[in-house]
Amino acid sequence: MTWESLTRRARPGLVLAIALSLAAVAYIAWKIGESPSQALQVTINGLNVGAVYALLALGFTLVYSTVWFFDLYYGAAAAMGAYGVFYLRSGQAADQAYDPGNSLLNIVFGVVIAGVAAWALHTAFYERFRPRYGRTLLRTVGAALAAAAGLYGALILWLPDHLHLTTAPLVTAFSGVIVGLTAYWLLRRFRGEAANRRTAAARMSAVIGLAAGGAAGLFVALRPEASLYLSWVVSCLLAGCVGLALYRGLYVLILLRARSTLIMLVATLGVLLTVSALIVIIFTSTTHALPESLGSQPIAVGGATFKAFAVFTVGCAFTGFFLLWLLLYRTSLGKVIRAIGDDEQVARVVGINTTAVIAIVFFIGAVYAAFAGILTGQDLAIQPRMGLELLLKGWIASVVGGIGGLYGAIVGGFLLGLVEQFGIWDISGEWQDAVSLLLLVIFLAFWPKGIIPRT
Amino acid sequence: MRITSPGDGVQLSRAPQFLLASLRGRLEVWVAVLVILTAAGFMLSRGVGFSIGLMTLFTLWGMLAISLNLVLGYTGLLSVGHIGFYGIGAYTVAVLTTNPRREFLGDEVIQIFAWPFFAALPVAVLLTGVIALFVGLVFSRFRDDLYVLASFGFAIISLNVFVNWQWVTRGPFGIHEIPKPAIGGFVFNDDLEFLALALFFLAVVAIIAWLIVTSSFGRVLKAVREDEDAVEVFGYRASHYKLAVWVISAMMAALAGAVFASYTSFVDPHSFILLESIILVAIVILGGLASIPGALLGALSFVLLEEGIRFIPLLPPEHVGQARQIILGVLLILLMLFRPQGVAGRFKL
Amino acid sequence: MSAQTDGRDAQPAIALETVELEKSFGGVHAVDHLSVRIPRGLITGIIGPNGSGKSTLINLLSGTLPMDGGTVIIGHRRLQTIRAHESPTNGITRTFQEIRLFPQITLMDNLLIAMTRRSVFSSLFQRGRGARRERAEAILWAIGLWEKRNDLAEELSYGQRKLLEIGRVMAMDANIYLFDEPFAGLALHMIELVKSLMRRLRAEGHTIIFVSHNIGIVRELSDYLIVMDSGELLAEGAPEPALNDPAVIEAYLGN
Repeated sequence: MTWESLTRRARPGLVLAIALSLAAVAYIAWKIGESPSQALQVTINGLNVGAVYALLALGFTLVYSTVWFFDLYYGAAAAMGAYGVFYLRSGQAADQAYDPGNSLLNIVFGVVIAGVAAWALHTAFYERFRPRYGRTLLRTVGAALAAAAGLYGALILWLPDHLHLTTAPLVTAFSGVIVGLTAYWLLRRFRGEAANRRTAAARMSAVIGLAAGGAAGLFVALRPEASLYLSWVVSCLLAGCVGLALYRGLYVLILLRARSTLIMLVATLGVLLTVSALIVIIFTSTTHALPESLGSQPIAVGGATFKAFAVFTVGCAFTGFFLLWLLLYRTSLGKVIRAIGDDEQVARVVGINTTAVIAIVFFIGAVYAAFAGILTGQDLAIQPRMGLELLLKGWIASVVGGIGGLYGAIVGGFLLGLVEQFGIWDISGEWQDAVSLLLLVIFLAFWPKGIIPRT
Repeated sequence: MRITSPGDGVQLSRAPQFLLASLRGRLEVWVAVLVILTAAGFMLSRGVGFSIGLMTLFTLWGMLAISLNLVLGYTGLLSVGHIGFYGIGAYTVAVLTTNPRREFLGDEVIQIFAWPFFAALPVAVLLTGVIALFVGLVFSRFRDDLYVLASFGFAIISLNVFVNWQWVTRGPFGIHEIPKPAIGGFVFNDDLEFLALALFFLAVVAIIAWLIVTSSFGRVLKAVREDEDAVEVFGYRASHYKLAVWVISAMMAALAGAVFASYTSFVDPHSFILLESIILVAIVILGGLASIPGALLGALSFVLLEEGIRFIPLLPPEHVGQARQIILGVLLILLMLFRPQGVAGRFKL
Repeated sequence: MSAQTDGRDAQPAIALETVELEKSFGGVHAVDHLSVRIPRGLITGIIGPNGSGKSTLINLLSGTLPMDGGTVIIGHRRLQTIRAHESPTNGITRTFQEIRLFPQITLMDNLLIAMTRRSVFSSLFQRGRGARRERAEAILWAIGLWEKRNDLAEELSYGQRKLLEIGRVMAMDANIYLFDEPFAGLALHMIELVKSLMRRLRAEGHTIIFVSHNIGIVRELSDYLIVMDSGELLAEGAPEPALNDPAVIEAYLGN
């Protein structure tokens, strides 16, 4: 392709892009000249909210690039994350008006957890063990394990004041498995692949894992002040379980007869409506504050004040990006996820259990959303509308960045945050949403594929 | 993008299929009869004043539902932003017929507009049409998901304007004392008279919509909905058609908004939040996509639901709104599962 | 546009000509500097191995895909770009390789789409009755789907949908008819029907271009033949000599 044809084709978008970037640079330069300290403040604010948007966009993009429809439950997941923390920790919060311990809610979540556990056990073990143990035994054991998981989940919800004790087994198991697996991988990597060494490595890493898990569990159990952060984890996991359950229990059924992506959009809109109404019923529509986390004290640097929590938020966004990148490009599960995103039919034909993989994707996506919701709630406050607002921001960020791509999601998130904060410098903060939507409309009109188009 | 469903190959045996088809043919009739009977019974038991109020609400939602059905049912564009046009219509009439600056200026009362309703109405409709034209110029390039997102954006931007452009809209306080319509000395003061006027407007909207969907234009809209690229090969500019129907539909929504403003004699941003728009989408899908009687059926069912829900025993009054939202949400999910065209619809999403 | 003005053309025998037509997808030349002339009023067959650019050529001529370079000459018009909605102005209509009907509207409406006014404003005041409806019914008779005229297109079988798509292009007032794989997947009696429809169009003086894999049908039906390979012209001319061209035989046997 010649240079002329290239420029001829790209011209309107290119010229506009250059003009807009120049205008933005000029505006920012002018603003810095006007008040450097305030410019710093606005930049920090922009990075702070941008990090939340980036997290949202990452999860959103993961789900979208796998199933190619927008899951609006995502917004509800963000609100559920924040409200989960509130539910578990409202005894510690500034306003103790809300009395936690809604038995019905605990039972519902217990059932959801039991269902997810049953599904996970069934998917992972049923076919493999059926020839050896037979149906009845497997079903009985599976049902018992699932019920135990559900009871354990409900127990955690029932005793929010003893979160550090109730979650200690969870922490033990989780960190034990993680450390053990890492140790196994490292040992295999550095001490060879021979069969005898493999058993030795497995034994050694099991010991390491047990020790590390026990230590972590003990560490948590002795620290009641860790409850807030444990409630983050529990809340994220709950939102993730609901996301998974919705996919496996509902979306799969609708997808069976879906003709277009709009049908999924409308169905998930129904889910969003229902869940946000339930949140209002349970928690009322008033604004609540979450208990203060570490780093909530403002610090002043160069005329700008911000919380150390903002730094943590930005760090979370990059960590979230890195973890997702590792998952997608460095694990076999990621390879499968990408294959399903390319063509689900083909993936199914080559023997991938697409339903199970997509369910995991929905779990991860909901966890990201819930975590973003928690970060927002910790930074500002929580109210039922936050779900819809965060959903929109995450959606916009992923479209602006380039829908379906990880790099686009993180770039789009931070860009959206910065544009929003700089945009409302001179006008009142109420126009924040209008500014971000204007950015969206500009992108949709001129670069519908976003900043970093998915290749 | 189409999703091929793995269940495509499933063939029902002939007899149940036939039975099912005849049942399906009757479902919309049954539901319509049921809803109308419920409405009649409800109105009889609650008295005349209540019935008039219910019917007026029905005309408002009916106009909105028909307007959105042109875009969603006939053209296949899921717009969540129609409440914005409803609001623009309502606010234009409110601003033009009253004097919102009165209270800003203290005691000094300056009547700047104070137009009669029937002068403000065409201005409101045309102004909304012009705004819709500019919005639509951008929107008509999108389809499917991105259209939804963009229309979300429009709903939120318009709400932002209603709340924050206080110089004109008086922000969250709203505009009060909007006069009732008057023509040639006759004032539609009485509720019944107003209902007659509202029904007249509903009839106008329904007839215009019917003329549109039965014309060649309507046929092209349906074809655009089915396959935008293929319709271009036959010489139609799909984006022009999308733009045209968007503008027409926006003007209908503005008409509904204008009637709403003079009915309640009070507008504030709370009536135009995104949730109302989502509810409108639910009404249209519930009643039936690509069907004008379906839109009316959806509007009537919703009004019944909204008014009837107050009489559900054991429901705390502060949760009425949430209960309504949950019922609509669950209905949407069930419809997508079992009847993606809605009760009386002709287009499966 | 209409046949009368084209009748006074300097080269009345040529309906459509491409000059150095070009299209590539990510570096692969799907149509590579192709220059062909399509004779007027005849049936022209296009054959070639898979991926030889036959369908791309149809897509370029109908504007479904934008062309990268070259010129298309239709009558007096020299076109550097063709956009899909200009097809009726160019007198071109087409069918698609993968059937693209409008599934959720009736058969009748599917045909009427090809006949009604194109402008937004005038279509608002037109109802598609009378003469147009009669013609649509006649076409439905001809393709044997008259009884199903009020059914939705999605309820048809594969072959019936294929026929309806052919009926839809016949409903359009065009000079040049492009058929992309019109015989693929059809039963024998339907193949005969489509052949007779194409001959009928030829008898009415229209130009027909069709793409097919089936050499038997191409040999029997076409008056003129274009053989393509890797986006290039391999041979053109009367069917028999073109098919016996050594290059053509090599391309097919080497495949």
